[in-house]
Amino acid sequence: MSQPAASVIEASDDAQQYLTFRVGQELYAMTTDCVREIIEYAQVTPVPMMPTLLRGVINLRGAVVPVVDLGERFGSGQTALGSRSCIVIVELGDTEQPQLLGALVDSVSAVRHIEEGALRPAPTFGHALRTDFVQGMVRVEDGFLTLLQIEQVLSICELAALAGQRHA
Amino acid sequence: MPAEGIRSIRLEGAMTIYSAAEAKPSLLDQLNPPGQLALDLSAVDEIDCAGLQLLALAREEARRAGGELYLAECSEAVHEALALGGLASFFATEQEAGE
Amino acid sequence: MIDMGEVLQTFIAESQELLQQMEQALLDIEQNPDDPDTLNAIFRAAHTIKGSAGLFGFDLIVAFTHVAESVLDRARSGELPIDGTLSALLLEAGDHLAGLIAQLDAGASLEALPPGIITRGEALIGRMGQYLEASPSEARGEPATSASATASEADTGRDEGHWHLSLRFGPDTLRNGMDPLAFFRYLNTFGRILQVEALTERLPSAAEMDPETCYLGFELAFVSDADKATIEGAFEFVREDSLVQVLSPAASPDALRAHLDALPEDPADAGERLLRCASVSRAELDAVLAPVTAMTEAPAVVAQTTLMKAPVDGPVPAAKLRGDNSLIRVDAGKLDQLINLIGELIIAGAGARMIAQNSGLGAMVEATEVLSRLVEEVRDSALTLRMVQIGGTFNRFQRVVRDVARELGKDISLQISGGDTELDKTVVEKIGDPLTHLVRNAMDHGIEPLEVRRAVGKPLQGRVSLNAYHEAGGIVIEVSDDGGGLDPQKILAKAMQRGLVTDGQTLAEKDILNLIFEPGFSTAETVSNLSGRGVGMDVVKRNITSLRGTVELDSTPGVGTCVRIRLPLTLAIIDGFLIGVGQASYVVPLDMVEECIELPPGHLDGRDYLELRGDVLPFIRLRQLFDEASTPPRRENVVVVRYAGTRAGLVVDQLLGEFQTVIKPLGKVFHQVSGLSGFTILGSGDVALILDIPGLLGHIPRTPNDLRQASPVATLT
Repeated sequence: MSQPAASVIEASDDAQQYLTFRVGQELYAMTTDCVREIIEYAQVTPVPMMPTLLRGVINLRGAVVPVVDLGERFGSGQTALGSRSCIVIVELGDTEQPQLLGALVDSVSAVRHIEEGALRPAPTFGHALRTDFVQGMVRVEDGFLTLLQIEQVLSICELAALAGQRHA
Repeated sequence: MPAEGIRSIRLEGAMTIYSAAEAKPSLLDQLNPPGQLALDLSAVDEIDCAGLQLLALAREEARRAGGELYLAECSEAVHEALALGGLASFFATEQEAGE
Repeated sequence: MIDMGEVLQTFIAESQELLQQMEQALLDIEQNPDDPDTLNAIFRAAHTIKGSAGLFGFDLIVAFTHVAESVLDRARSGELPIDGTLSALLLEAGDHLAGLIAQLDAGASLEALPPGIITRGEALIGRMGQYLEASPSEARGEPATSASATASEADTGRDEGHWHLSLRFGPDTLRNGMDPLAFFRYLNTFGRILQVEALTERLPSAAEMDPETCYLGFELAFVSDADKATIEGAFEFVREDSLVQVLSPAASPDALRAHLDALPEDPADAGERLLRCASVSRAELDAVLAPVTAMTEAPAVVAQTTLMKAPVDGPVPAAKLRGDNSLIRVDAGKLDQLINLIGELIIAGAGARMIAQNSGLGAMVEATEVLSRLVEEVRDSALTLRMVQIGGTFNRFQRVVRDVARELGKDISLQISGGDTELDKTVVEKIGDPLTHLVRNAMDHGIEPLEVRRAVGKPLQGRVSLNAYHEAGGIVIEVSDDGGGLDPQKILAKAMQRGLVTDGQTLAEKDILNLIFEPGFSTAETVSNLSGRGVGMDVVKRNITSLRGTVELDSTPGVGTCVRIRLPLTLAIIDGFLIGVGQASYVVPLDMVEECIELPPGHLDGRDYLELRGDVLPFIRLRQLFDEASTPPRRENVVVVRYAGTRAGLVVDQLLGEFQTVIKPLGKVFHQVSGLSGFTILGSGDVALILDIPGLLGHIPRTPNDLRQASPVATLT
């Protein structure tokens, strides 16, 4: 069968879009590729017997989505709820069976372009985060931005293992 | 080489039930203006009964308009389908047309 | 638009069904070698698969099935007895075909098969070929004997002369994904088309012509050794709305006349076409047409009415394998979607009802009540759509038992009962693997070797039984055997050795037996080929648990073992009972709730049981279990639940009443959590958790009754 040639849309440059947000005092970023939407923090149903990093579940238009407290995940303590608290809905896993997860953050800042060249490797020491969580660092106006390896931060296997640890 | 006064119509790709709905109007359009028309099917890589039927329709239409539709060239796939479907002698060839 | 994929899916599904029937028939024939009906059924199944595969141009399947069919044909004619070896070979051939179909199902091409499959196919063809070589009738092709061939073959078309096929395809042929050219290519696989003439007369003018409607007709001269049924069978898929007339070589004048009359065109014109195909002689044609031309007009009208009918002469064997006409085949995906939508409808309905209640408008409340009752009925009938009988799954084990028994050198029969018990298709699909393991296990470890059975005076033939029945909103499946049973002392010893049980722990005999479902446990003293396949009883248990079911085992030494699996009827929507603990709401499956009582005051002194009408009822305080920090209400309630014979209470804050519960799976993150079996969404939009009652009951402290029965571990070791 004759098929039309697929039109290829080339990225205009090698800049990638990142969503920046705050957890505690730190500024983080994750690629917008896996961000589905950002919602206000509301109606989170706690799931009993779960470690504190699993804040609970929300009803996202009929789908039950687990919410992970990034403050707890990063070891900086439970995220205090405020008027700017947000849940970033992230889609992970393969396209066949995508898994939705919510990441509770203190506030969402902006979407910004980051050139690949601006990326610095994460320091091997003096950094509070697990190294596999970090893709790299970027220097911005008011300090450093930590680019997250979000599949690691929200690793479904790891979360499942943590959830299964405490038995009733 | 098409002979003098013969207009060539070239079809390509698949002529199957999947594309028949779109192929019909475009094929009929190309029959206008009526006259001596030579079909070049050398780039048709797939054809089924729906395709054969359209070719038959086109010939009938060409004749109805006072012209003729010849088969100038065809691919292996078209050749096989015409033979299998008993339409190999349905279309006049271009040699015959030139006379 | 037509969807070729859908037609292919139908082919795959039908072939799988036919192979299933063929396998069943082959197993039957081992018991009953002389039954011609069974043999015919096998032949027809192979024949239909071959025919359908030809339409799709799956030459590999056609060629392979052709050999199997030839062997079956010889068996059918009584030249070849079906013995154990042959039926085993044919079963293997069926497996091979199933493998090829599975490739298609997986979207793979038959052109690029794994080499293993190709070699297996070739080997099987070779082995089946041996049954054909010795055949006297196969020798008919040899020149030396053909001279003596008699005229008795007149109707089979084996000698000179050819068949004539008049085909008028129905208008929807192309739209249904059929290409007449594909039929011709298929004919060429078992014969040769000498000539084709296309009829374009039915083509309307350009304006009226629908490019997806089939207007073509064909006249074919065809030479082949095949019989009439085979040739007609090639058009199986289009018979319903197409006219397929097959005229035998050297047909009688009556047959010719009937052939011409069946065609929609004028018999004289039709006759000319046959003449052009050299299918009749001028003299034959004239002889037939002469009287008719005198009668005139009328026949043409009669012929029109027969246009859409399949020819009546000759049997249509393949059609008999088709199921009941009142059944329709529905894509399971569409059913799933329907049930999902009904789930959303229930949630939305609960929301509307809550708003109505808050509004205080009586009429509104009444209207939503009516609505939700209707939704409930729709839910129930939608769920029954997805119910299937477990018999199909059970029957598949005939083969497993037969093969495994041979492998083990044991004589074992399979007894099936309750095959008409229905359960959700999604559950049925997932129960196959655990059942297979249990059946294999029963045969391997349960049924004793022949010598042992003889020594203890048991019937030499061992028995494995599959049974199913409904029980309190669920289904129970039993896998039992009449083998040696399990020795609790041995199990306990092994469990202690593996560290599954510690000294001083007291266990009831039943609990000891059920230790074999613990990870890392195996009772097989010699690891046989079967148990060495890596799936232990713990995996069985995990599979069942993931279906929200439970598994338990009963055994009497010397008499046998019975594994009982309890499963919910559906994984989609249940009737639930809503309870409140702190701010959160939880759902308990309603069919497990026995009653609700108020927690009598004075039970706050740390005791975990109360007395209910003279019986001891252990309970779980959900506040405690769930670390609920808020102050408990003045009055607490107890929900009495029962599951698989165990009864217990759940102490909760509030009883919120019945609730239609749409089950949302736990998902990857929570699937290992015990005590929870799913989520649901309330009318308010909030998420509620569904409690896993079997899981929770597992944490119940033993009642004094149990303790009395238990034997101290120390005396056993």
